[in-house]
Amino acid sequence: MSLKTPSAAPDVASGGPSERRAPSRSTARGLLHVPHGGLVVVLILVCVFTALQADAFTSSQNLLNVLRQVSVNAVIAAGLTLLMTAGGMDFSMGSNAAVTLCVGAQLIDGGWSTPAVVVVCLALATLIGLVNGLVVTYTRVAPFVATLASAMLLDGVALLVLDGMSVTIGDKMSSLGNDEVVGVPYLTVVAVLVLALTGVTMRFTTFGRDAFAMGGNEHVARLSGINVNARKLALYALAGVLAGLAGLMLLSRLGAAAPNTAGLQTQLTAVAAVVIGGTSLAGGHGTVVGTVFGVVLLGVVANALNLLQVNSNYQLVVTGGVLLVAAIINEVQRKSSPGH
Amino acid sequence: MTSPATTTGPVVRVRGVTKSFGGAAALKGVDLDLYPGEIHALMGMNGAGKSTLVQVLCGVHQPDGGTIEVDGHRHTGLNVRRARGLGVSSVPQRRELAMGLTVAENIMLGDLPTRRFGAVDWKAVRARAGAALSGLGIDIDVQRVAGSLTVAEQTMVEVAREVRRGGRVLILDEPTACLSARDAGQVRALVRRLRDEGVAVVYISHYIDEVMSVADRVTVLRDGGLVRSAPAAETDPAALVRDMVGRDVVSRRPERPAPRDEPGLAVRGLSHGHAVRDFTVEVRKGEIVAVLGPAGDAQSRLFDLLSGRVRPDAGEVLVDGRPVPPGRVGAALAGGLRCVTGDRRSLGLVQSMTVDENLMLAGDRFARRRLHRSADLARRAAPVRDAYGVVALSGNPPVGSLSGGNQQKVLLGKWLETEPVACFLEDPTNGVDVAAMADIHTLVDDLAARGVAVLLASSSAEEVMRLADRVVVVSAGRTVGEHDITAITRDELVATALGGQPQ
Repeated sequence: MSLKTPSAAPDVASGGPSERRAPSRSTARGLLHVPHGGLVVVLILVCVFTALQADAFTSSQNLLNVLRQVSVNAVIAAGLTLLMTAGGMDFSMGSNAAVTLCVGAQLIDGGWSTPAVVVVCLALATLIGLVNGLVVTYTRVAPFVATLASAMLLDGVALLVLDGMSVTIGDKMSSLGNDEVVGVPYLTVVAVLVLALTGVTMRFTTFGRDAFAMGGNEHVARLSGINVNARKLALYALAGVLAGLAGLMLLSRLGAAAPNTAGLQTQLTAVAAVVIGGTSLAGGHGTVVGTVFGVVLLGVVANALNLLQVNSNYQLVVTGGVLLVAAIINEVQRKSSPGH
Repeated sequence: MTSPATTTGPVVRVRGVTKSFGGAAALKGVDLDLYPGEIHALMGMNGAGKSTLVQVLCGVHQPDGGTIEVDGHRHTGLNVRRARGLGVSSVPQRRELAMGLTVAENIMLGDLPTRRFGAVDWKAVRARAGAALSGLGIDIDVQRVAGSLTVAEQTMVEVAREVRRGGRVLILDEPTACLSARDAGQVRALVRRLRDEGVAVVYISHYIDEVMSVADRVTVLRDGGLVRSAPAAETDPAALVRDMVGRDVVSRRPERPAPRDEPGLAVRGLSHGHAVRDFTVEVRKGEIVAVLGPAGDAQSRLFDLLSGRVRPDAGEVLVDGRPVPPGRVGAALAGGLRCVTGDRRSLGLVQSMTVDENLMLAGDRFARRRLHRSADLARRAAPVRDAYGVVALSGNPPVGSLSGGNQQKVLLGKWLETEPVACFLEDPTNGVDVAAMADIHTLVDDLAARGVAVLLASSSAEEVMRLADRVVVVSAGRTVGEHDITAITRDELVATALGGQPQ
């Protein structure tokens, strides 16, 4: 019945019973009611532990390095957050980025001007996203399956484009990948802009709310006058263009395209970050803030494992463990939040 | 009818049970005695505490105070498993069968007979499941897949499963909601049979006539408190409504302005498969025309066809004299046709979104708003909330947390405030309590008085008599009659349509 969690809503009338009771709760339980509270606690614990164990962690050089690494993932995860909130899924963004990266490197190597390469790469990435969208929307193949197939396909295409070689691009685009503005890497500036725009779109535009409605119940969205098919195409195209952007960012950071850069593995990290951030796999729920925490947590854990010189065989084990713990905490928190 | 077994003590005795959720009291000191061989109706409005009481009985929730005795022994810390072990179980409103398994497997689930090496003894499964069904006089092939059963058959299978597991106290939550008269009759026959077998049945229903005909004892809850618990013979429908609502509910036909002499909605020769054959109706502006038929007949397909979800094989729809292209949701909406589904859960509201956002979901899209601000949204939604009497316990919760009546009002508010020319309403009072039903009927009256052409699909004869100016009766996909509402009695309507919820 309707009385399950009535006054747990944040906007409960002031002086309501739950508000009066709140201070007496233990901090641990109180944190459950702060959005992403559990996630923040895990993040702080990991940071404090690493800082105590390895002095290098807090050095500005290392922090900048983490920010650069995280930025590429953040751009992919931002697009994915919006798409997953709308009930979609795209496993091919990382592979799309790989293709973009390889094509971009080849074009620059072939003497194209940098602006032309950027435009061509972004157009190509958008097209790939749009094709994903067309397949998902009109053949009704589950997004999970369709985009997993295109991920494998695109990983192969990326290898074909490189033809087994490594292609360097010299110092073209290197300022984007390595320079800073007032101490913040350009890459991070781009990522923050993308995240902020995504957040604003989800919260303050009808386009974003349409995504929530579609993810919550596609039939209702369609019957309410939302052009669901057009929205889906737009969302997959958007995921594509952001994947392309991530590919270019990666290219500028690495200064070269090598086989098996980016690809499905990168995408799985992004999916993990989005899910850790509390976005529902079934759609209808999602926040960019959660995604930011998810991306940063995974980035910090990877960096900490490097700094602590953990045997590389254990790195995957630890990363998986952190993912699991964060997901469990998230689920516990979700159950105690209103609407469930 | 056997008389209630007053010589033996109650099998379940509830005393002074209280329960609150986050400060809101859902039950305030409720007493309840359940006797074997008695049908005990539990009545009350949405949110009166019926479901909470049932959940406390079944061990889903722990009571904050009070006692529960089963067979004279006090039980604390009941959980679902222990309650079931004591023979207390419920058949919820949303049926819970494994839809991909056969009837036999569903009945035997968790207790599959095995042979050596743990191999399932399918012969025994079928035999025992068949025995469980025939023991209750149910005639369903145990080899059928659960998903292919009608809702009534699913209810019966669930009842048989609970009885086979040793259920002595069976709680049925609105077992006849959304059923045709014939199916509802079958379910009621099963309930009487359970009583004769000595089961204590708790029967939750909004249909007052049904309760009066089937129940031995009636308990009424209001706002979490006990209002009355008495033998059914000592009460009458009017008193029951007064107990539930706390006041007299008046839902009489008001004087509406006469319909204008211009067509608002015209449907011509609409056909779709075998379900709808050559359906034709014309609704003038300000007129309410009802389509009445057995549950699941042509009127239940009209929503899909008129809203544009499904393209009809043939036929045309005209709104305000202009043809509306078939099979396109956008075109139907742009033409001024608003279709309100009877299935608010899967086709009406986004359950995870807030009340305000659901209220404005369609209106904002028509207005082509680009930006979304929650303060602005709340300001625009407030008058709609007031006008439709939507009551939320706190602020702006997800719509899924509201009671059925409130959700239905949100659904109506969402569509009827978008300047409709013509409206199609499907079972607008489905699963709604008496007071909310009266409110919704008034809303529909107002809608027609505003000059909107209203086409109403309903399986309730009472609702049709209350609202409609004319009634079109359908059966087996065809129109079988058309009557002015003044020229026909309720009983004649039921007889022609075999619909509604008669005794």
